Amino acid sequence: MEGSNSEEIVQENTKIFTIKTQVGKEQNTADLINSRAGKSKIKIPSILVTPELRGYIFLESYDKERIRDMIKTVSYARNMLEGDIPIDQIQHFLIPASAVAKITEGDVVEMIAGPFRGETAKVTHIDDTKEEITVELFESVVPIPITVRGEQVRVIKRKDEEKNKSEEEKRD
Amino acid sequence: MKIVRACKTCHKLTESDVCPNCSLPTSKRWRGYVIIRNPENSQVAKAMNITKPGKYALKVM
Ligand SMILES: [Zn+2]
Repeated sequence: MEGSNSEEIVQENTKIFTIKTQVGKEQNTADLINSRAGKSKIKIPSILVTPELRGYIFLESYDKERIRDMIKTVSYARNMLEGDIPIDQIQHFLIPASAVAKITEGDVVEMIAGPFRGETAKVTHIDDTKEEITVELFESVVPIPITVRGEQVRVIKRKDEEKNKSEEEKRD
Repeated sequence: MKIVRACKTCHKLTESDVCPNCSLPTSKRWRGYVIIRNPENSQVAKAMNITKPGKYALKVM
């Protein structure tokens, strides 16, 4: 493995790195890394500050060495821990936002719990007050509407996906 | 200094009483801090059900 290959790595799974920060400056560090990521070409899909863990923040990225170099120049960032951590280890911090508010009619979802787990379905109706959604499974012979709780599904394709993309491009 | 609030529903941080994302009420009691830059490529965004870039709270009371 030589360092001569400078090809940009795209569409690889992210890794989660742990950054040691000055205690009490976790959020400032996250903001500084955020603005740095905006100015540089380093891809950092997310930065996470948990109230339980003082003096540490997490960030999601691809290339450990680039992150290590970057944080050297970020105030309040001390260093980076060796190795990355699996998402499972921080999953308990990540309380999903109200599921129903994020789902719209026409979205394609994957069932992540219950008897239809693993199957894909299309959202046909949303009940915000009960946090329930009605879906039709793609694989069923007869499209029977079934009602599930919002947290039992995960959006895999949004109806307005194309629109969101063009909005993002405009912002850059 | 303005108080930062978090949407009780989607957790987005805002200075407004009403969330700019979902028009639902916000709260000034929240904890944790997440910056989502690229939701499509983020495992954290997926775990939290976040689909739009922005700053979010982990927990809203
Ligand atoms: Zn909201």
